[in-house]
Amino acid sequence: MLGKRTLTGRIGFALAILLLVSFSLLPFAQILSTSLKHQYDWGNPSLIPQTINLDAYKELLGLTEAKKVEIPAAIQKILNNPKLPKDKKEAIAAKYTSNDNLFPFGKYMLNSIIFSVGAATFSLVFSVMGAYSISRLRFKGQVVIQRSVLFVYMVGGVLLMVPLYQMAMNIGLASSLWGSAFCLFLIYIVQTLPVGMYMLGNYFRGIPFALEEAAMMDGCSRKEAIIKVVLPLSLPMLATVFIYCFIIGWNEYLFASVFLKQYPEFHTLPLALQELFVSKNAIWDRIMAASMLTLAPIVICFLFASRFMKGGKTDGGVKG
Amino acid sequence: MAAITLKNIVKSYDKTQVVKGIDLEIDDGEFVVLVGPSGCGKSTTLRMIAGLEQPTSGDIIIGDRVVNNIEPQNRNIAMVFQNYALYPHKSVKENIVFALRRLKVDNDEIERRLSEISEMLQLEELLERKPADLSGGQRQRVAMGRAIIREADVFLFDEPLSNLDSKLRSHMRTEIGKIHNKFGRTSVYVTHDQVEAMTLADKVVVLHDGYIAQSGTPMEIYLNPTNIFVAQFIGSPSMNIIEGTLFNDYLDIDGYHLPRNKLSNVAYQETISEAGLKVKVGIRPDFFNDKAFFSETGITFNFTGLTIDLIEPMGFDKEVLFNLAGSSVKARLDLRSDITLGAKIDLLVDLSRVLIFDHETEQRL
Amino acid sequence: MTPLERAEAKFGWKLVAPTILILGLLILYPLMYNVYLSFFDVQLNGYKTFVGFENYIKLLTNTDYYSAIGTTSLYLLGTVVGTTLLGLAMALLLKDPFKGRGLVNAAIMLPYVAPVISVVFGWQFLFDPISGVVNYLFVDVLGIWSERTNLIGDPDSALWVVVLFDIWKHAPIAYLLILSKLVSVSRDQYEAAAIDGYGPIGRFFHVTLPELYFVLATVVLLRLIWNLNRFEDVYLLAPNVQTLPIFTYYQAFTGVIDQGLAAATSVIQLAVLSVFIWFYIKKIMKW
Repeated sequence: MLGKRTLTGRIGFALAILLLVSFSLLPFAQILSTSLKHQYDWGNPSLIPQTINLDAYKELLGLTEAKKVEIPAAIQKILNNPKLPKDKKEAIAAKYTSNDNLFPFGKYMLNSIIFSVGAATFSLVFSVMGAYSISRLRFKGQVVIQRSVLFVYMVGGVLLMVPLYQMAMNIGLASSLWGSAFCLFLIYIVQTLPVGMYMLGNYFRGIPFALEEAAMMDGCSRKEAIIKVVLPLSLPMLATVFIYCFIIGWNEYLFASVFLKQYPEFHTLPLALQELFVSKNAIWDRIMAASMLTLAPIVICFLFASRFMKGGKTDGGVKG
Repeated sequence: MAAITLKNIVKSYDKTQVVKGIDLEIDDGEFVVLVGPSGCGKSTTLRMIAGLEQPTSGDIIIGDRVVNNIEPQNRNIAMVFQNYALYPHKSVKENIVFALRRLKVDNDEIERRLSEISEMLQLEELLERKPADLSGGQRQRVAMGRAIIREADVFLFDEPLSNLDSKLRSHMRTEIGKIHNKFGRTSVYVTHDQVEAMTLADKVVVLHDGYIAQSGTPMEIYLNPTNIFVAQFIGSPSMNIIEGTLFNDYLDIDGYHLPRNKLSNVAYQETISEAGLKVKVGIRPDFFNDKAFFSETGITFNFTGLTIDLIEPMGFDKEVLFNLAGSSVKARLDLRSDITLGAKIDLLVDLSRVLIFDHETEQRL
Repeated sequence: MTPLERAEAKFGWKLVAPTILILGLLILYPLMYNVYLSFFDVQLNGYKTFVGFENYIKLLTNTDYYSAIGTTSLYLLGTVVGTTLLGLAMALLLKDPFKGRGLVNAAIMLPYVAPVISVVFGWQFLFDPISGVVNYLFVDVLGIWSERTNLIGDPDSALWVVVLFDIWKHAPIAYLLILSKLVSVSRDQYEAAAIDGYGPIGRFFHVTLPELYFVLATVVLLRLIWNLNRFEDVYLLAPNVQTLPIFTYYQAFTGVIDQGLAAATSVIQLAVLSVFIWFYIKKIMKW
């Protein structure tokens, strides 16, 4: 197409590729670079830090000791008062010893993992069942269900935030910590289920019917045929769908902010990072290091999943 | 071991009827071939026997039970699929023994049957491979092995050879015949290939448009087709159908008068009016002989002075085309016939092989 | 229906029941509930008073709403055209195999899978007025701008940053869709066109483009559908760019909270979205 046989054609092609890759990777390079730079180095347009600074990572991963804050003498006196109840003493002491500079990255990451892995697991199970049903079994109403799934797949979260929040409020879930967390968990399942159904439905349709029929001829019931033939054949796709659902949950911000904003201990990474960014503790190297660490699991998952999605083989309707 | 009976089987999808009422008896141990052009309902019929499709009405009886409401896995049937349907994630060995493992057959027995079958099908070298690493013929043999090892009551074959090249196909055809002779299981075999039907079957069932057009032994079907559809579908090259007029004493074809009392295969005995009865005459190309090499007997008729329009040498024999009553008629002559295009030739026809069909209904007279 | 067919249908319903339950309860029902809410004055704590069409009247007389529609239109125009063109260019460039194509593929897919929250910080740093490389490039190196500016701080310029961000992040998906069609165009067609005397450009317009017409329409529609709903990518990068989803979010959860008004906004937006989806279903899926 581009006349790659000529020398100029080749150079042009290489330049175009270089430009494209740079455009794609520049923001990532910037994040990595800034996360490793000292503050004095930020204004330097070069992507290579003058000296490598790992403090931000160490801090986020809890490798540095939290700094001891001096308790003022007057407060120390109050604390020494034997009449004061023990719990009050601790409360006061905590005010001075807690280090609000600290960003409990590990906790947020754990929250994110729990929400996204949990939701992806449920979603995968339900979408295997649903996708199998609508793609392989014959019953009335199947087509309606199939179309409805495509429709709801395209309805964005923005349109649902008010009614979902109000529903959660009406049944009293939104006013408690665990209730909110439960709502968010359900919402992540809902947000990933149609994608999973869609991807798996298409995949199942591609598996020849004759394989299942052969299994039935070999004495399997339908359920056994699914478990012993269809699912083992679908393993790569199951992994891909799981990862895809995981990524959606991991990246989600909107509903996390609606339901969990007031419960910092349950913040997921996107929410926590945004809070960090707008707080007084916003320091570029820390933010960038946190971004890097949020990115990392996704990049790893993606590289794993891309082994299964080689070339341009992904299906038409993937969410984006 | 089991006989199969189909009682007035009808199958419709939405509003279109695919199978329109089939009655069929298959004896225990019989090899029945369902044959017909695509869309005639042969595969649907087979799949209904298997339980993969449900008849809209009618009963299917295998052995002594009506199986309509019995799930496929409980019918004790083995089936070879058109595309083999091997489990891609299992090795050849696991493909073959899958059903036995499920039935918890003990290991020694599994190994015994496996080695017997892999020897018979020459699969010993392939047992550890995955289906993707096999050639088409090898896959076909694995599919056969998987079906045989079950020792099921009934074997079903759904166009098992249609994906093989012609050489392998004729080889596997022979193998299937041998296997049937060895195990003697009731078998139902679907194909559109009439050679498979003729060579394998104890009984051929020709299906046409959802009905049974005719069933019988291969020779019956070949020599005594009951209608033009069967006559033309079975036999290659297919039977010539020529316009003719039947009179009380003779059959007129384009001015040739064939004596009616010698047409020993025409059962029609009614007296015919003066004007004669318009009929369609069927003569297989194989029943023409070159007069130069065969002598006339009491039951032959000599078509004299035919002009040859086309010659197609086929190797052992040659096919020639000439015009008779407005139709292009084909005759299969043997190698020795030394004819040239446009030349006149005399051809002998065995009168006992001439068939007559009703002009409208196309049924045998 | 025969007993076996009935059993199959029953099994089918059983398998799909959890999905129907979840999607019905948490998507279809909320969509209807949203319509109901749009006729009420709704407090954050769930307290409601019926107000009839007042929310709609308030909305339609609000100039901010029209400016949000304007912003959304520009956003959609910019992102749809941008992602489609870049996706097409990428597909044409990467169509034929070359050494290292796998790596290049992975690199250009990365923006698509990366969490929005992480990459927005990279982008914010790039456009930072003090340390950002964009200002450095345009002011200090090229001298096109006379002084360093905060592009993300100003809503007008921020809109274009947000558009560029979306193109960067979502061109890969357009690329995948277009590529999968492009590789299926048979070589014969190109060879036939070449024999008929068409050069590379002629071949592009006479062979490639007609073949891609359908997939390009798919890409455009899908981009419209997804980007009409797009929230995070805009809000997290430049919260001052008020597209409709951001407008709705502000109404519902910040400042003077008016969830009834937000519901009304969503209802109208759903109506527009449904038109796009209907188009997609009719013309692309061909139901």
